[in-house]
Amino acid sequence: MERRVVITACSAITPIGRTKAEILDSLMNGISGVNVLREDDVLSPYIHSKVFGTVDYPITYDFKRQYRKTMGPVAYYACQVAKEVLDSAGLNDAFVTGGRLGVAFGSTHGSPTVQRGIYKTFFSGSQAGYSSIGAVDYLKSMVHTTAVNITKMFGITGRVISSSTACTTSSQSIGYGYEMVKYGMQDAMICGGADEYDTTTVAVFDNLLACSTAFNDTPQLTPRPFDVKRDGLVVGEGAGAVLLEEYEQARKRGASILAEVIGFSCNNNGGDLILPNLGGITETIRLGLKDAKIPTDDMDYISAHATGTKMGDVIEAQAIYNAYGGRPAVTGFKSYMGHTMGSCGAIETIIMTYLLAEGFVVPTLNLEEVDERCAMINHVRVRRECPLRIAAIQNFAFGGVNTSIIIKKWEGR
Amino acid sequence: MTREEIKTAILEFFRKEFEIENPGMEDNLREIHGFDSIDAIELLLEIEKLLGSELTQEEKKRAMDIQNLNQVCDYVESLAKVR
Repeated sequence: MERRVVITACSAITPIGRTKAEILDSLMNGISGVNVLREDDVLSPYIHSKVFGTVDYPITYDFKRQYRKTMGPVAYYACQVAKEVLDSAGLNDAFVTGGRLGVAFGSTHGSPTVQRGIYKTFFSGSQAGYSSIGAVDYLKSMVHTTAVNITKMFGITGRVISSSTACTTSSQSIGYGYEMVKYGMQDAMICGGADEYDTTTVAVFDNLLACSTAFNDTPQLTPRPFDVKRDGLVVGEGAGAVLLEEYEQARKRGASILAEVIGFSCNNNGGDLILPNLGGITETIRLGLKDAKIPTDDMDYISAHATGTKMGDVIEAQAIYNAYGGRPAVTGFKSYMGHTMGSCGAIETIIMTYLLAEGFVVPTLNLEEVDERCAMINHVRVRRECPLRIAAIQNFAFGGVNTSIIIKKWEGR
Repeated sequence: MTREEIKTAILEFFRKEFEIENPGMEDNLREIHGFDSIDAIELLLEIEKLLGSELTQEEKKRAMDIQNLNQVCDYVESLAKVR
């Protein structure tokens, strides 16, 4: 039995805003959320890249202490977007706690801020000993901290999936959540991902020469996906959550349907853990189309993973061309906010949901001169109204993990 | 350390860390204030700081039956006597 799966609520914390209006305003007006890397006392002095996709606006959290006590910064992000999704969806308490609602939520590596505190205790040379590590430090820092803090806060008793696959973390969350509902294992899933401000991730990519360094004095001019002057990715922070719901349930309760998820694919390159792989990515795209049961010509708009790295963008452009030809419009949304890591798939899915509903395509920011090796696909260069029906969200991660999510504009049935 | 000093320190910890204001000394911490296993472990860490020494595993296990603040104070008082 295959059931239809719809998105009935979403919420995001991004470097370019919180609300639909704020995010669309940034996209429509070419406003970047990339800023100067904040200094810390551990790594920032040694990092060559001095740019970061920062969440600089205040967020008011209203969590009771019984929930706060097991939350690191990443769980604050996760619980906030989950709370907003549940508030917006209007599900009744009996359903939320009844076992048919699950959670698929993850982050790249839990809370590095909390982990850093633990390491400081060990390596400070003090006599503090292991018992000075707080009882809740593990609960705050473990890789599934986002998912289980959400279940705790709302009393959710359904399935828990906590992907932690770097850049495909939240696209896997959405994809696996979609499959849970599609195949009847759950009736609804809160899906998404979050990552907090962290210089460890920047240092990792910096060491691999994958971070942007040429625009340290002009942060908003980077990253530059598909552009000849692109020089690497920009790490960012953020969170995104969507509520996936079985269509008939959503219809019967009169839920506001934002879009339909019609396909998902995930595969692995089966080899190198870092380098992008044309065959693997092309196959992911094809598998997504097969799951969605649509021909390639139906694809209108693609959210490219497009991190702004030298090789990654070329391989992705080739894969898009191999699978779709040059027709679908393509935008790299990381150009606006940097690479929000574990949350990027969810944030990009939310952005695509907004743009499908509004009927707009927006340009890849900082794309001034297209690299000729990426020129075979249909880059969006200017904002324009465009009738849209079907969109894909592509994400690829270290470890050779590839995903494609395919969503459809909600047209009332 | 006098009983009154222990009580003052514990109440201050409850106020500051657990956000529990003016609890009754006989209140059931779990039922009335939502005190749970995580809080209990945090409290033991605070007691170690208060006493200036680590608790043994046996001493920690003795704390598992504590239900109210008077019992917390009794527990700390008994530990202080043997240090």
